[in-house]
Order: sequence, then C-alpha cells, then structure tokens
Amino acid sequence: MFLHNLKYELLSSLRVKDILIWLILFPVALGTFFKIAFSNVYNETTKFDTIPVAVTDEAQDQTLRSVLDSLQEQEEPLLDVTYADKEEAEKMLRDKKVNGIITADGKLSLTVAESDLRSSILSSFVKEYNSRQQIIKDCIMRDPSKAQDVIASFSEETASLREIPLSSGNTDYMTDYFYNLLAMVALFGSITGLHITINNQADLSQLGARKCCSPTPKSISLAASLTGSYIVHSICMLFSVTFVRFGLQIDMGSRLGLVYLTALLAGILGVSLGFFVGSVGFLSTSVKIAVSTAVSLILCFLSGLMIANMKVRIESICPWFNRINPAAVITNSFYYLNVYDDLSKYGVCMITMAVTALVFDILGILLTRRKKYASL
Amino acid sequence: MDNTVVKIENLVKRYGQLIALDHLDLEIKEGEIFGLLGPNGSGKTTTINCLLSLLAFDKGNIKIFGREMTPVSYDIKKDIGIIMQNVAVFDELSVYENIDYFCGLYISDKAKRKQYVEEAIRFVGLEDFVKFYPKKLSGGLLRRLNIACGIAHKPKLIILDEPTVAVDPQSRNKILEGIEELNRNGATIIYTSHYMEEVEQICTRIAIMDKGRKIAEGSKDELKRMIRNTETVTIEIIGLSDDVLNEFAGLPHVYDTKYEDGKLSVFCSGGKHNLIRIMDVLRKNDLSFGRVYSELPTLNDVFLEITGKDLRDKED
Ligand SMILES: Nc1ncnc2c1ncn2[C@@H]1O[C@H](COP(=O)(O)OP(=O)(O)OP(=O)(O)O)[C@@H](O)[C@H]1O
Ligand SMILES: [Mg+2]
Repeated sequence: MFLHNLKYELLSSLRVKDILIWLILFPVALGTFFKIAFSNVYNETTKFDTIPVAVTDEAQDQTLRSVLDSLQEQEEPLLDVTYADKEEAEKMLRDKKVNGIITADGKLSLTVAESDLRSSILSSFVKEYNSRQQIIKDCIMRDPSKAQDVIASFSEETASLREIPLSSGNTDYMTDYFYNLLAMVALFGSITGLHITINNQADLSQLGARKCCSPTPKSISLAASLTGSYIVHSICMLFSVTFVRFGLQIDMGSRLGLVYLTALLAGILGVSLGFFVGSVGFLSTSVKIAVSTAVSLILCFLSGLMIANMKVRIESICPWFNRINPAAVITNSFYYLNVYDDLSKYGVCMITMAVTALVFDILGILLTRRKKYASL
Repeated sequence: MDNTVVKIENLVKRYGQLIALDHLDLEIKEGEIFGLLGPNGSGKTTTINCLLSLLAFDKGNIKIFGREMTPVSYDIKKDIGIIMQNVAVFDELSVYENIDYFCGLYISDKAKRKQYVEEAIRFVGLEDFVKFYPKKLSGGLLRRLNIACGIAHKPKLIILDEPTVAVDPQSRNKILEGIEELNRNGATIIYTSHYMEEVEQICTRIAIMDKGRKIAEGSKDELKRMIRNTETVTIEIIGLSDDVLNEFAGLPHVYDTKYEDGKLSVFCSGGKHNLIRIMDVLRKNDLSFGRVYSELPTLNDVFLEITGKDLRDKED
C-alpha cells in the first residue's frame, strides 16, 4: 500500500512541470541575478579601507597599545588610531574625522556617531578584544617572549573583520545572499508540502475525498505523500546547491558533503512547514497557498534575503526569533559550516531544523487526523 | 443478516442555518438499482457524503452491510465503489495509471490488480486511450475514466453521484448500460440524478428528494400510482375560446386543464376513453388542430403533484 502510494505520488509530482520548473528556474534566475548584481558591490566592499578611530586611554594600557600597534602595522591596516583625550576625541567624532571613540577603562567601550558598516566592525573589534583581553594579558605576564605571537594572531583575526562588514559575522556578504537564496528554495517546499494535505483531505479536493473513501488508512497515504514530497524537494535542493556552488562558483567552504546534507534537511523543513500550514483546518485552499508563499517570503526577508543586515537588526530586537526562524536557521547553518571549524554551532542549527520539521509533521498529522468534515 | 445493504435512519445535516438533510430515512436492499432523484440542491450529494462518513452530521444513524459506518470502517469501505459528482482523477497520470492507482488503494495483489484494471478499461471502452492523460480526453471519455476508477476493484456497493451530467447522449447511454451490467453482475447501485428519464430507465426503486426531505419512495409504477394523474392529453391548437376550454374541463375524469402558447393540456385521472372524448369535443366545435398526443405520467408529474414545482430545470 505504502509503496503503491509512493510510486504514484512520485510519478504525479515529477510530472507537475510548472512547479518543478519554477523550483529549479527560481534559484538559477535569482542566483545569476545576485551574482551579477553583487560582483560590483562586492569588489568595492573588499577594498574597504582603514577605519579612523580615536582612542582615549588614560591608563596607557600596554596590552591594548601593542594590539593596536600591531593592527596598524599590517599591510592594509584595519585601524588608523589617534590617541586623544576625551574632549579631543569627541570633537573628532563630531567633525567626522573618526568613525568612533574607543575608551579604555579596564574594559574597552565604544562610542559611535552613526551605525553603519564601519561602526559595526569597530564594535566587533571591541567585543573581541574584551573577551580575549584576559588571555592576552595572562600570556604577556607568563612569557613575554610569546606575547608578540599572541598579539599577532589576534590582530590577524580581527583584521579579517574587515571582510565581515556585517557584525552578524559573515565572512563574505555576497555568500550570505546565496545562503538566503537556498533557504528560500527550501522554504518554497512548503508549497509542495501544502499539496500533501490538499490531495489527502476530503474537504480540500475531490481527490482527497476519493482517497478518504478507500480502505487505505489516512496515516499510510499521508506518510507516502510526505515521503514523496521529501524526495521531490530534495532533488530541487541538490540541484540548487550544485548550481550555486559549481554553476555560480560560490565558495561554500570545504565541507561540501555537509552542505548538501544541510540543504536536504532544509528542504525537508520547508515541506513540513507547508504540510503544517495545509492542515490548519479553518483556512481555505487559496488562503493556504497565499499564507505558505507569504510566510516563506517573510521568513526569508527577516533573515536577510533582501536587506543584508536584517538578521543583525533582528538579533538586537528579539534574538530568539533568529534561533527559530527557519530561514535564519538554514542560512546560519550554511554559514557556520563555512566559517567555523568547530561543528557545535552548526550542530545546534541542524538539530533545530530537525526538531522544527518533526514538530510541524506531528502537528500536521494530528490536525489532519480529524476524520469527518463539517463541510465539503 | 437480512439483505439490507444501506440503512439510513433519521439523518439530519445542517450547514449553519440551512437544513440540508431533514430527518432522512433510506433503506436499500441488495441487488437494487436505487435512484435518488431530486432537483439541484435537494441534498443528494450531502446524503452520499454522510453515507461515506466524509461529512459529519448532526443526528442519525448509518449502517452499511449491517455495520455502523465510521471513517475507519475499512472493512466496509473496501466493498464500496464511489463515483463522485465531479471528476476526480490525477491530471498527471495516464488513464491506465489513474485506474491502477485507485484500484491499488483497494487491491494489493499485483496480478489480480492488473487483471481488474484491464477489465475496467474494457468495461468503459477506453482501450484506445490507455496512454492518454485526462486533459486530452473529451468530457464523455473523462466521465468514463472517472467511473472506471471507482469500479475497478469490483465493489459490492457502487455509488454514482450524477455520473451523466454534461455528457453527450451516446456516452450517457453507454454509462447507463454499464450501470445495468454492473448490477447484473451482482452489485447494488445507488444512483443520484436530477434527470428523471434516466432514473426511470434504470432504477428498480426510487426515492424522490426535495429540500433535504424524502417526499416519496417506491418503484416507478408505485410512484406513479400515488398520484391521481393517469394520462395527459396535449393538443396543438390556436385561438381556443374560454367556452370550449370549459367544455374540456367538464369532461368526465378530467381534473385540470392548461392552455398556454397554443398548447392545450388536459389532465385526466382514470377512465379509458379520455382521448376519444376529447377528440369528440374538437369535432363537435369543428376546430382545426395540429398534433395531438397522449402521455402517461412521468416522475415529473409525481414531483409536480407533490411539491407543486417542476422537477426539471427550465434550461434543461
Ligand atoms: N459546504 C456547504 N456549505 C453550505 N451549504 C452547502 C454546502 N454544501 C451543500 N450545501 C447546501 O446544501 C444543500 C444540498 O446540497 P447538495 O449538494 O447535497 O445538493 P444536490 O442534491 O447534490 O444538488 P445537485 O443536483 O446540484 O448536485 C444545498 O442547498 C446546498 O446549497
Ligand atoms: Mg449533487
């Protein structure tokens, strides 16, 4: 029974050409567009120059000075430091001579005039420094000969901040758009997922009614439909990743196997989302389609599909939303996979996706199991 | 167990304020072709959907094959074939695949299924179209596919909800003959329609519905005996005076007359020589007339007499 259902589920979905074409054409078109549009922007951002900054450091903190010096010594220095007292510094900031004031008072703090890319780099630097300060100090105390190495390695890391114009931590802000694009393709799986309920519920389609009259239990036909949709959407995801990675030559890190795995799980999450929306009883079919599409778009918007630092803004308003927004979780897992050697953050994202998908599926099945309908 | 296949007792279904089924009772015996006749919106489809446990109802009892019908009565469902009012097939699957898919929901044995599917294709005469997709089929062929999908698993009870709507006469006859053949092969049939001619042609017992109520039930002869009309004589005649009209109305056994658009209808109840008496009046007044014909009562007359309305839609 299950296999019979699955066979025809696959046959019929693979023949629904318009949806498949849409799902495949979409990443190709939008991806190519991103690639062309950002190739210019991206070049400009990498040329991103040195950031002038005023430092008020009354205690003349040696550690800080060595770090700052070593930052300025680099080929393309990240910072152009002017040591000044408080008043002078504030004047420079007002006159737009510097982008920010770093005040050292045991810990570093930052004052900026406006929030832009530069100020977010400064803020990253300050955060990073504060968290490492103790380690660096300890190191200098214990073995001054090694101090230079420690400082050098820290400066190198902070210098790479320059390539992260967004404090969300992306190494490359064009890549982020492609992660978002993949998240969007994944979430468009919700349309596929929606059709699972449409095709299985008597009140949503004649086909559903016909299936409900048969002795095949709903659980079996639902399971077959879900499996079929997962398979079909997985094909779309594999295609999209392959296209972005090899067609558009976007660097997604060295762990390509895991990238594909992430894409598959993301696709499953999208289908499950649609399945859940579809099973909410009181919405009509057309409303459900509109809701799925809108939800996918909004979630992607909030994770930065259209405005790059959206996720950063959300992070400051309600950080928990970024933890559960499927689009943000998907983009983050691609990002973590690319940037961090340690897989723990990535793991958390993957578990979040799996749990969310499971919750959607369970809710969906519970909602569709209601057997008789008030109206057909 | 007696030979009752379907027993519906006291069924009430409301859609908000609207009472779609009003204390409906039906009993269908094995081997019948049971006709559910009623105008649009009378509750036929609602009855079928309640029967199939698709629709929740407010009150009542439904038993099929002597057992209570519920959404999980898989042992009952396996013996039911359902042909819905609207065509419900997969656009992306071919004729063969569609029938195989639906048959496979009932029959797991592959060899048996193959045989059943082929039989169903032959039965509806779609042999030349097995590889066609539904979009490429004409309306009549599509209806036949719809039927094949519902009966391929050889059900004991077949429910057809207006299977001939929007079908040309040729396909319609083929469908009606098919239904009779299914019945001869042992299936009990429930057939809903608002075409009284079809119901009269094939149904062994008929329930007439109006506004969610069963207003009459019986074989077609029994139904016709329920009403006083036994014969309607119609004459095409122009310029009939009221005097002559009254003369017709005064004839024995005539209980009503109607003169409209140059057509005189004389409604008779009982009596053997109604036509001759009417012709006598025409000759006596030396009236010239066109066609004259006498009709036995139809189910429409039954409906008309009970409800005061015409059964058929004016546009039909
Ligand atoms: N989902 C619904 N919501 C509200 N009212 C409904 C619904 N379905 C049917 N009705 C109403 O219930 C009544 C019975 O409808 P039903 O479809 O059973 O009629 P029918 O006899 O099958 O008519 P037809 O010959 O047009 O198919 C109608 O008045 C209809 O308007
Ligand atoms: Mg109907």
